Parts: sequence; C-alpha cells; structure tokens
Amino acid sequence: MSAALPPTGDADHAGGDSHDGPPGSEDQARAARALREAFARLAPQGSDAWNFLAAFTHLGDRYGPYHPGASALSDTVGTEERAGARRPGRLDRLRPGKDRAVRGPEGEKTEFEEAMGQVVEAFRFLSARVATLEARLAAEDRPVEGAAWLVPARELGGLVAPVCAHVLARTPGGDVVHADCGEGGLLQALTGAGVAAHGVEPRGALALSAIERGSSVTIGEASEYLAGRAPDSLGGMVLNGVVDRLPLHALLPLLALSRRALAHDAPLVIVSETEAVTGAREPAALDLVDGRPLHAATWELLLGRAGFVEVAPLAGVGLGDGRFALVAATPS
Amino acid sequence: MSGIHHFVPVLHRGDAVGRHTLRLRDATRARGFRSDIYVDTVDAETEGETVPVLDYPAAAEQGDVVVYQFATASAMAPWLARRAETLVVNYHNITPPDLMAPWDNHLALGQLRAQGDLHLLAPRTALAVADSAFNEAHLAGSGFAATAVIAPSAALDAAVTAAARSARPTSPRPAGRGARWLAVGRVSPNKALESTVAALAVARAHRDPGATLQIIGKPATESYVASLQRYVAELGLAEAVTFAGHAGDATLAAAYGSADVLVVTSEHEGFCVPVVEAMSAGLPVVAFDQGAVPEVLGDAGVLVSDKDPYALAASISDLLADEPRRAALSEAGRRRLAELDLPTAADRFVSLLVPLAQGGAGRP
Repeated sequence: MSAALPPTGDADHAGGDSHDGPPGSEDQARAARALREAFARLAPQGSDAWNFLAAFTHLGDRYGPYHPGASALSDTVGTEERAGARRPGRLDRLRPGKDRAVRGPEGEKTEFEEAMGQVVEAFRFLSARVATLEARLAAEDRPVEGAAWLVPARELGGLVAPVCAHVLARTPGGDVVHADCGEGGLLQALTGAGVAAHGVEPRGALALSAIERGSSVTIGEASEYLAGRAPDSLGGMVLNGVVDRLPLHALLPLLALSRRALAHDAPLVIVSETEAVTGAREPAALDLVDGRPLHAATWELLLGRAGFVEVAPLAGVGLGDGRFALVAATPS
Repeated sequence: MSGIHHFVPVLHRGDAVGRHTLRLRDATRARGFRSDIYVDTVDAETEGETVPVLDYPAAAEQGDVVVYQFATASAMAPWLARRAETLVVNYHNITPPDLMAPWDNHLALGQLRAQGDLHLLAPRTALAVADSAFNEAHLAGSGFAATAVIAPSAALDAAVTAAARSARPTSPRPAGRGARWLAVGRVSPNKALESTVAALAVARAHRDPGATLQIIGKPATESYVASLQRYVAELGLAEAVTFAGHAGDATLAAAYGSADVLVVTSEHEGFCVPVVEAMSAGLPVVAFDQGAVPEVLGDAGVLVSDKDPYALAASISDLLADEPRRAALSEAGRRRLAELDLPTAADRFVSLLVPLAQGGAGRP
C-alpha cells in the first residue's frame, strides 16, 4: 500500500482501496504532469505571459525617460543617447517600419513623438493601476476559506456502490466528475463500468495516490476546474467533501458552475456529513464560516499566513473572563 | 600609474556581488593600483567604501581600466559604454525574462533591460569575465569577443562553511528520522522550487514519510512565494516544509550542518553559490542538470536529467540510503573545491586586468 500522506484526517482514509507496489511509469508520468499543472494554475491572474503591464512599462521606457528617478545617472543620460541605445524588444515585431520615431530637425520632436508622449503618460497611469491590482491579487489568500487542507477527507467507502449505480442509471453520456475524489474509489468503479470519469482533488497527496492507481485527476478546486469546462459538457457530477468545507457564499457559485457544466438530464449527487461529524472538526476549520468569534488557533493560522511571525498567547493573560489575547510581529 | 576602478550599481555588503567587488578592490590595491568602488546608488552601510559614480569623471586618468559588475540592468551600463576608458565586464548572469514574466512583469522587464545593456556593452568591452563557462557562452552569444572564466571570489564565506562542517554529525542519520532536505537561494521562479516540493510529496508518499524541506532565501517576488506556499499546503506538506526567509551566517551554517542533502532544482543558474557552500560543508548535493550547476558541481554530487519528481525523489532517497556513496561525494566535493581555487580568484582576476592597465587598451 502506498504511504500517501493526506494533509489531515489520515485515519479517515482507512476505507480506501489499497494498491500494491510502486505506480507504473505511465501513471507516474500522469502524476508528474498533474503536479506541474497544479502549480502552473497558481501563477497570478493576468500574468501568464507578457501582459498589459509589460507592454505599458515597455512603451514607457522606450519613448519616455530611461529609469525615471531610479539613479543618479539617469538624469545624465540624454535623449539622443537613449535613442541610440534603444533596446530591442518584443514590441519591435509590431513595428512595420524600421523606426517610427524618426527624429525631426535638430532637437525637434516629430508629430509622432508628440503623440507618443501623451500615450506614454496614459500608459504610465494604467501601468500603476494594473500593478496595484496585480499586487492585490497576489496578496489574496484565497485558499484559507474552506481550504481542503484544513479539514479531514473521507473516502466514499460504502457509498461508492449506490452512488455509482445512480450515476450509471441516469447519465446521458459524457464525462462524470467527482469533486473531492480522494483516492479515487468512485472513479475506479465508474471507469470499470465504462464511464469516462474524472476526479478533482485539492489535496495533492490524495490526488497523487488516485492518479498512481490509474485514475484521471486534476489537482485543484472544483470551482476552478468547473469554470474551465464547456457548458453542458458533463454527464454527471458527484460532490462530496467540498460541500462540507466551503462556506455558504462559496457553495452557491459552485452549484451554479455545476449547473452550467452539466448536460441536460445529467445527475448531480451530493454526499454530505452530518452535524455530528462536522462538529468534531478542528477549531480552525469550524471557524471559517460566518458569524462567530474565531478560535485562538485560527488566529494563529491566519496571522501566520498573513506573514506575521512570533505568534503566541499574550503572557500573563489567562482565560478567566472568557477572552484570550495573542501577540504577533512582522518579520525582521 | 593608471587606476583600475570597480563599478557596481549599488554595493551591498551582504550579497555575493558586493563581497566579490570588495575583494577585487582590495586585490587591485594590493598590486599597487589606485582602485575605488563607484556606485550609482549609495548604500548607507557601505558608504565609507564607495564613491558616487558622478565623481568619477573628475578623478579619471588616462589609461584607467573600469570594471563593471554586471548582474542587473542599470543606468551605469549606457553611461560606461559612452566613456573612453578600457572597459571590463564581470558578468554574473541574467535570469531569462521569460522565467519571471508569469510571476512578476516588473522584474522580468528589468531582466529584459539587462539583456539590452549586455548587447550595448559588448562592442565596447575589452574583456568580459564570466563566473562560469555557462555564463561565458552567454557572453559569446551576446557579442563579446574576448572572454575569460574565473569563479566568483566571494562564493564561499569561510566562517559559514567552517561552522557548518563542524556542526555536521559524524554518524549516519538515525533510523526512523526523516531526511532533512535543504534548498538555499532566492525564492524566485527560476529556482523552480515547486519541483523540489513536488519531489518531496512523492518521497513522503513512497519512500520517506518523515522527510522535510527547509527553504532558505529571500523572496524575489511575493506572487511566487504565495503560490509556492499554497502549493505546499495543497500537497499536504504544510508541516513538512519550512520557509526560513533570508538567513544570517549563523542560521545558514546551522542549516548546512543539520541537513542531509542540498536539493537544487533551478531552471537557470549562472554559478550557484549554494552548491559550493554545500560542498564545503560536506553536504551531498542532488541537482537538476541545468545551467552552470553541472560545471560547478563536477562529480561531487548527483545530477538528475529527468525533471520528473519521481526520478528526483528516487535519486535523493537512493543517495541518502547509501552511506559509502555519500562519503565518496563529500570527498569529491573537497577535490572540486580545490580545483575551483576560490581563495586566489580575486588575485587571478586582477592578473587579467594588469596588462590592460599597463597596455592602455582603451576603447576597442
């Protein structure tokens, strides 16, 4: 049996199917590809290539000052030298002529340069705005809310057979997706019955285990995966795990995405835990829903992820009046 | 006598280029030349060691050699290109912008500008000195006619590596204790630390459930670090991976001393100082066969040509289970360090400059 280490709730995987020996080379190659794709999807939105920001900044450098205010030397580099030292760039490919910015008579700007001056100013403004937005996106800590790694995962176990039977009976054809597929018990059953089944599993260690056993799995969140699927393209969907960990305001978009991706008459199965089970979660997982004070452990987690260090209880403060106090610091 | 002066955009005492520049200046003065370090931006910590670059024209003398430490884009490059002194470029590599672009376009544009600076300097340069043959090939491809290779003089901090070596346990890793992987260097997209993390996930799943990874280095861009931390969490490795950030000498020495293996999965390295530090500390190295790493490492480590995380995990686990092989690699590391001959690097560098100063090569 593979010693795959799920992030939390290890014991909850006792019901998973075992498999002997190391994965075959084909499964390893698929697992390696899934790992690469899982990381690639984390690149900041809007920065997947040379983007607008690059174009703006490049134009600013090309037609404006070299490094405005960046160094003592910048001001000594004259316009003519800059023109002579002009850097080749990708935007050159967009230039039909050899050099549009041909200079006029000594010291005079061409009409084109005058126009570009205005455009460059606009680009600088846009560049600053885009930089701010990209920084905001990068700073968002989206994975904390309802994060899979915070809560135990449970395999479907004994539910595989009835869920599989329902899906087989109702699917109009097309891929069947299992969100939070764990080690892939349902995927194997569906595939064994001749259905094209695909899993989505955000816990990489579990996903690896499923892939190594021959299942097709994307490492990621169900909502991200579904957003990339064509409308009406799925022949069925099973949601478990994910429905127990996402807060309500995130579940609603997930259901909307599911509705969009499912073909007409395709079955949707939701497998949810009872309160008795979810109530036994770790405090940090319990807290990531609305409307209640956070546990100290959750504040420690959130402060740590926000970049604070030395998070600890405030010395000398007990829990006498039902309150706690934590201290933290910014890194040195 | 003419002078041999060193130019660097900013002199940081703590970074490798800064320490290297100081050593070159000292070695130049030891040969009897006038030698100062000129900077475009004054760092308060090194202000006493530097002279503002705009003061140089008044101090310049016929026959001067100017040595430009090239590691980033700077207004110094076009400024030096226009001057008449004999120009020497000491090239420390530019990370290809395409590796950075998906994560930080501003940094990528800086690298694009640096590439432009390199092409600008090429026809003006009497001699270009690279850290490695890998970098030298890049110089040749950028149009530099006369090139040489000398390893960076400050690649090793003797105090750090001595402390690390003395801290290393002499007995094999205790049975049952997970292997301690170490990654050192800027936390930057070109370092491809996600490959190390993926391999750790595989290793923990199949070979070594207790394996851990410590990542030491200053973040190059927040977007990459945030994604890497999320990746770690999603792979269930939050408790197995430590992001230690920038480390001082003592922390670095302790890390080299306590780790079982240095893992290098960089996509692009112009030299790779951590490999040298690991060799000096007696720490085995497993690295992707990329950039200058195979050249610097020689036969003193394990090179993995397949970037598959299973292959990397297997290479690391196999090495750590093979004590005689680890000992042999440690010995090979000592030999490789002797070949690199870092203590004399600054003096050898200056030996290349002396004929230029005495010959007054001037503008090519």
